[in-house]
Formats: sequence, C-alpha cells, structure tokens
Amino acid sequence: MRRAFLARVADMIRNEPDTTYFTVDIGMWAIRDVLRDFPDRCTNVGIYEDGMFSIAAGMARRGLVPTIFGIQPYLIERTLEQIKMDLAYQKLGINVVGTGAAVDYPKYGYSHYCAEDAQIIKMIPGCEFVAPGSAKQFIQLFDQSYRDGHPTFFRVSDHPNVNYDVDVEFGKANVIRTGSKATVIAVSVMLDEVMKVCADKDVTVLYYTTLEPFDHKTLAENCPSGKLLVVEPEYEGTLLYDIHKALSGRPLRIEQVAFPREIFRNYGTYDEKMEHYGLTAEAIRTKLDKLLNEE
Amino acid sequence: MKQILKDLRKDSLLLSHKCQDGNLQSVFSCLDVVWTLYDKIMNWSAEKATDPDRDFFIISKGQATLALYPVLIRKGLFSFDEVAEHIGQFDSRYCIQTDLSKFPEGGVENNAGSLGHGMPFAVGIANANKIKNSPSRVFVLCGDGEFCEGTMWESCIFASAKKLDDLCLIIDDNNSVGAMVDMGDMQKKLDAFGFDVAVINGHDTDEAEETFRTIMDNHNGRPKAVIAKTVRGYGSKTMTEHDIWFHKAPNAEELELLCKEVDEF
Repeated sequence: MRRAFLARVADMIRNEPDTTYFTVDIGMWAIRDVLRDFPDRCTNVGIYEDGMFSIAAGMARRGLVPTIFGIQPYLIERTLEQIKMDLAYQKLGINVVGTGAAVDYPKYGYSHYCAEDAQIIKMIPGCEFVAPGSAKQFIQLFDQSYRDGHPTFFRVSDHPNVNYDVDVEFGKANVIRTGSKATVIAVSVMLDEVMKVCADKDVTVLYYTTLEPFDHKTLAENCPSGKLLVVEPEYEGTLLYDIHKALSGRPLRIEQVAFPREIFRNYGTYDEKMEHYGLTAEAIRTKLDKLLNEE
Repeated sequence: MKQILKDLRKDSLLLSHKCQDGNLQSVFSCLDVVWTLYDKIMNWSAEKATDPDRDFFIISKGQATLALYPVLIRKGLFSFDEVAEHIGQFDSRYCIQTDLSKFPEGGVENNAGSLGHGMPFAVGIANANKIKNSPSRVFVLCGDGEFCEGTMWESCIFASAKKLDDLCLIIDDNNSVGAMVDMGDMQKKLDAFGFDVAVINGHDTDEAEETFRTIMDNHNGRPKAVIAKTVRGYGSKTMTEHDIWFHKAPNAEELELLCKEVDEF
C-alpha cells in the first residue's frame, strides 16, 4: 500500500502543478527523483508535524492541494489543534497519509501505536477518514477524494487483505454477501478474516473502507435481524455512534471484535498482537456463533 | 497622536462596549502598525479584497481582532453601524476572533483564537505564493508572548529554508512576556533563524512606514521581521496603568472616560 501511494505521489507531482507533497522524513528513497526535480513542491520537511499542518493549510488557502506523509500517531495526535483550527474550522482541504496503522510498528511501544486514530478524526466535523484494505483500494479511494476540499486522513496498513480485494467507492460500503441471521461489519484489513468465517453462513457482510463520512444508508438497508457483529482494527466502539444513528429506533444486539481500550505495553509481532487482542477468525467465529445462537 | 489613530481607538472602544468583550490593551498596542500596513504598505483595497495577487494580512494574535475591524471599516469594506449592531451576537459574522468562513467577499484572511497558528499559516501562504509565482506578500501580526509556542520557531526555520522574502513577521512587542518567561534578545534570535530584522517604535507610523518599505524591498532570500516596540493600552492613560484592561469591556461610564482620554492623548 505504501509503495502504491508513493508511486501515485511521484505521478501527481510530475503531472499536476497545483499539488504539493511533504514527507516527515520517511519514504524518500521511493520518490528520490521527484524530491530532486521538484524541490519547491516536494519536500522532506524533517521531523515536523504540528506547524507543518498549519503551513499546509496556508498553502491550501492559496488553492494548492497539499499531501503529507508520516507516522499515524504524530500526524493525528500531536497535530490535533492544527486539524481543528487550521483545517476543519477554516474549511481547508489537505491529504494526510499515515503509516503505522493501529499496531503496524509492533515492537516500538505505545508511542507508535494508534488504535484511536479513526475515533479522534471522526470527532472533528468536516474531516474524512479512509482505511483501505489493499493497495488497489488505496489508489481508488485517494483518487476519488484527494481534491474534495476536506481534510482527508488515509490509514495505510502493511497487512492488507489478500483474498478479498473488491473495488471500492469513497463514502460507500460494499455489500459483500447477504444473509438473514445477522449483519457483520468488516472494516478495512479485517475483511479476509471475516470471510474465513462468514463465507458459508447465512449472514450479511458489509465492508467499510470510508469510516467518515460513514455510509449510514447501506447499513440501514442491510440489517434485517438487528444482530450486528462489528469487526474493526481500531479501539472498540469506534463506529458505535454511526451504527446507532443508522439503525435508530430499532432494537439492536451488538458484538465487537476490536482492540480493547487499554494502553498496549507488549511488543513482538503484528500477528502476536492480533492474536492477543482477539482480532482473529477464531474470535470472530466465537462471537458470531454466540450472536446467532441467541433468541 | 494623529486624528485617524484616535478615531480607530474610539471605534475599538465602542465595538468592545457593544459586545461587552475584548482585549483592549492588546488592541491599542498594535493598532498603529495595523493601520500603517493597510493605509501605506499593503497592496490591498476593499475593491480587490479577493484579488489573487493582493497582499495578505494574517492576524496571528487573534485577541487583537478589535484592531482589525475598525481598520477594515475605515478602508470601506463594511460600515461601522453594521459591525456595531451585530458584533458578538448569536448569528453574527463578527466574532471576537476572526472567522474566515464568514467573509467570502474577503477582508478576513484566517481564523484566529488559538495562538501559534497564524504564523505557520502565513508561512504556508507565502510558500504557496512562491510556488505560484504570485507577487502577493504576506504580513503576519504576532504577539511577543506567542513566541513561547514551538510552532512559531518551527515555521521560522521553514520560512528561512524556503527563502520566503515576501513574508513579513510583525511582533507586537508590548512586553507581555515580561510577565512570563525571559525570551532574551528576540532580534538576535530571529537573525539567527535567518530573518532580516528591524526594531521600531510601534506607535510611530512614519517610522513604521519607512521601515516596512525598506525591508520589503530587499529581495535577498531572507524573510523579514519587524519588532514593533509598543505599550499595552497606548492611547489611554487608564489602560496603560491598569492591567485589568487586558481583558475587560467598558461600561457606558468607562466608555466615556476612555474616549475622552484618547481624545486628549
């Protein structure tokens, strides 16, 4: 996904003179030619996030289309007031592409983990949050939204779906399959795990890659049972507000497979973390069976 | 004091009285520089407030917004009566700090309120101007206290690295940091950060005009900084002597007294 993004950046800078790009000192090698050839519009700004967002907002004020690439917690948490004041409040659009989704730097500790990213951005009106499940989907979603005038945050994952790589549309959920007994919401890179369990069950599977704006309509039209399993690679509860909004007035029974809201003090590998926190096909099966067996 | 500078101060007082809010000490310390920029320096007029090549005035020290509205009124962008009738009211566009989204016809260039934002925002505009080959210049008004924020210094590094010599940082140095931390020699600091720096009496509009003209004419790749030495509440004896006017709006009686002081200043 990162490689696809950087190739898109190189193409964008070469061919679209109103675009600009700042990297916070990562991913330079892949775009070394454009860094050299377009120093005014393509810059390694160093370890510099908060003021950089204000600078990018100033450039957007003059009609340019800035894109910033960095590490998710520093792009979203260090810069929170810049996002609120300089982007959302002033209605200025930039693109923010973050690596290190949730626990993609598994050995680095809590400083580098960011399971709260979507929740934080969803709290600031006007911001958009996109979590593609594959490189192809990243390009589709980026191309559909990068000039839309909003602050748009892209979560780039190093662990994409492999078996289910459907075409996606910004702001729209995909109906992967339909069934009657429950609705499973699969978010971003969790689709493969969800389908290991759900491919032969009588359930609806909805696939979300745009988390803000959330597609309430597709959920409202595809939850006949009122039973929901939410499988999301963020802190648990990130989508609950939108689920209740979409299904307002209906009795609901909701289970979740997501990261628990605690500080992670463990290291190891990505797979160990997903296993430890129960973001696995086995945990999905257990919670879905519980949901399906209830009256 | 020139009559126009007295009139602007009295407009600020009346607006503050109308909305029962405002940071008048801070407004009075920077008003002379703001007026000089709009009246003598900037390529700006009410008729070309949205011209892509106009000069930009960014108010980073948003607490002095009541210095900006009177200047824009005198420059014909809105009427005093309109602002006075609506300022601070529920559905008004005249906020105590500026809101860009409510001024599609121009005049307000940024949203203020949180300190440490306007300066990097101005640097972004100046950088975009350079990329777009626009002759537009950017003047950003900051408080001396604002330089406690790290984003100010970060954006100084960026402005210097990008050689943004059409950017002018103005520090309203009304000694607010005297009550905080010792910032040391700001002239030396900004020089070390790659800026051309001038220090002026911020209440001498002739000196300010001459300094802005000279410094902005020097296209040497170095961003510009003008440190305006000012006095909090300048123009009113009461306000210079009593820091309660840092954040206080006058009642009817105080309004009359303060206007009289301005007239006699």
